[in-house]
Amino acid sequence: MKNENQTMLSFSHAAVGYGEKVVLQDVSFQVKKGEYVALIGSNGTGKSTLIKCVSGLLPLTGGEIEICGKNSRKLKARERAQMVAVVPQSYYVDYDFTVEDIVMMGRNPYIDFRHRESQEDREIAERAMKLTKTDMFRNRLYNQLSGGERQRVILARAINQQPDIILLDEPTSALDLHHQIEVMELIRQLNEKEHITVLAVLHDINLASRFCSRIVILKDGKVKADGPPREIINRREIIPIRVMDEKQTAKPLRIHVICGEKGGVRILEQLTNMGHFVSAGVVNRESDDAEICEYLGIPRIEINSFQTVGPEEQEKNLELMKDADAVIVADIPFGEANIRNLDGLEHVKGELYIHRNIRTQDFTHGKLQKRLEEIQKTKEIHFFEKFNAGDWQ
Amino acid sequence: MKNKKSKTGFLVLAVLLCLGIVWVCTITGAASVSISDANRILLNKLFHLNVSLEEISKGNITIIWNIRFPRIILGFITGAALAVSGAGYQGIFKNPMADPFVLGISSGAALGAAVGIVCHFTFRIGVFNSTMLLAFAGSFATLFLVYSISRVGRRVPVATLLLSGVAINSTLSALMSFIMMMNKQSMDQIMFWTMGTLNGKGWNQIAAVLPWVLIGLVIMLLSCRELDVMLTGEETATQLGVNIELVKRKVLFASSLLTASVISVTGIIGFVGLVVPHVVRLLTGPKHRRLLPVSMVFGGAFMVICDTAARSLTTSEIPVGIITSICGGPFFLYLLRKSKKGGGVV
Repeated sequence: MKNENQTMLSFSHAAVGYGEKVVLQDVSFQVKKGEYVALIGSNGTGKSTLIKCVSGLLPLTGGEIEICGKNSRKLKARERAQMVAVVPQSYYVDYDFTVEDIVMMGRNPYIDFRHRESQEDREIAERAMKLTKTDMFRNRLYNQLSGGERQRVILARAINQQPDIILLDEPTSALDLHHQIEVMELIRQLNEKEHITVLAVLHDINLASRFCSRIVILKDGKVKADGPPREIINRREIIPIRVMDEKQTAKPLRIHVICGEKGGVRILEQLTNMGHFVSAGVVNRESDDAEICEYLGIPRIEINSFQTVGPEEQEKNLELMKDADAVIVADIPFGEANIRNLDGLEHVKGELYIHRNIRTQDFTHGKLQKRLEEIQKTKEIHFFEKFNAGDWQ
Repeated sequence: MKNKKSKTGFLVLAVLLCLGIVWVCTITGAASVSISDANRILLNKLFHLNVSLEEISKGNITIIWNIRFPRIILGFITGAALAVSGAGYQGIFKNPMADPFVLGISSGAALGAAVGIVCHFTFRIGVFNSTMLLAFAGSFATLFLVYSISRVGRRVPVATLLLSGVAINSTLSALMSFIMMMNKQSMDQIMFWTMGTLNGKGWNQIAAVLPWVLIGLVIMLLSCRELDVMLTGEETATQLGVNIELVKRKVLFASSLLTASVISVTGIIGFVGLVVPHVVRLLTGPKHRRLLPVSMVFGGAFMVICDTAARSLTTSEIPVGIITSICGGPFFLYLLRKSKKGGGVV
């Protein structure tokens, strides 16, 4: 019976401020059932504030928010918690609650003070723990879990609320890349299988474009852009807001990495994690490098395994390098099959960084050395030994 | 399920232990009443068993039934009320140092009692005498004063509540000292009141406090789940559907009712409300559904033991507040050291 196009969350001219300071001026957008929307914006643009308004922690100073068609101002905490669940940044609790205790708290909006949890409540909690794979450590203390595990527990609690909407407030910002992806993947599954609508504040546009169906960008208290990731990310006005990581001060770079089998994994992962815009080529299908590209959503030139890089592939490869601020040649062996990767490098605009080790893994009978010398005639090559994340900030 | 069984077993054991303590304390005391006599009196009076009391002197019957036994029951009620109240405050404030007196209701009670003692009022309402009534009024007036000072719009931030509690506490203590200074002849009496004692308290006092204590306990026990959720933080609690301001009001009221009603009868008895919930939390974990009942039992038992010490250690009475503080203080320090090593909150 449920209408797929039902509006779950509607902001109309929403405005919020703390005292004199206006944080959100005029925010209007709607979220439909089953959507997975990312809220993006640099620090202080009020993304988290907006989440707080929806979850009832902050009153609006103007405009309206409707949750499942109900005016947010008129909702009681209990009613709201039946419709909206929040997953904040990973946090500790000062007391020794077990995982099961924490998950069970998700049932609070459904149980009144005269009653205890029913069998039904316990079954719902059971399912939530199974979905998040937290049931195996249900008796452990919440505080003794790792960041990723804690976040899964909080997610289980959110599922236990049986909400229509899940709000995520930078749910993965305290986690390392592996756990970030794990948590985000779990949320995507919930979104797809359980049809829970998700509105997520994310600081990382890469993460957003990888997982969300739509991106809303906030700037100066208003909606600056709104649309599917592919469309949003390439819009010119968005580029300056691309770097959202508060740890980062420098602007993100466009970096192309020349790799192939498995030499590029670490570099690709680190650069992406730092918020740079990375591309790769020419990589072999089904290799480690190709897999990490797939995982991180990195654009790349691919060939079949054991195929030789031909002029055609290299042309595409050079096309990707055209707008790169830097080209990195990763620690890979060169042979007849991939030597063409280095063709035309003398003409790229960006800086050229080549790993020292490629000269000791030379199976080209001198062609590599010749190629490097040719490049060096017109272009400076920076040889590097270790990939230091710090150099690329 | 095995877990659940062992928990129930644990509770049954605790209750039996408490009954044992009550019995041991009833037969212990300065006056020498033989154990068999004491047992006979209890059996006869408590269970209306047909046990002959003819050979037992009237004096001994009075000692057991009208002095010791009601005193022990009142002690138990007092300890239970203070412990649950302390657990409630600690839950609301999320602060391990919170106790039933953080908001200054003890100094409010003391001030009220001091006024009552100094003015020699003789009015009474039912089982309440003037000192009790004024102490009770004093604590509640303080609670409302602190609450309304801390109020910001419709919210009452706990940090402000704690700070205004501290401020009001010291102001009221100073006022009481002033009253004591101006009325040197009543100084001893006021001093004794503030140290807390169960001496001379009996069935009347039990009748006076029991209804309020029961109301307080019921409200607290019905707030267990919400208190649990509150421990994870106020924002999280709101997002989990808890009306935090309502819960705060409810629990503050119930905790204060518990504390105010017992201390208006006994005077100020420190440390029970602070230490007992901490110790119990180590045993039961933070969930209030177990924390509160077990605190009740432990608090009551602790109080009964302390009071028995108070009346038996020396020939004259030691105010029980002194005993509880002497036992409680070092014990608390021990817990603090232990938890420092463990790195957790007590």
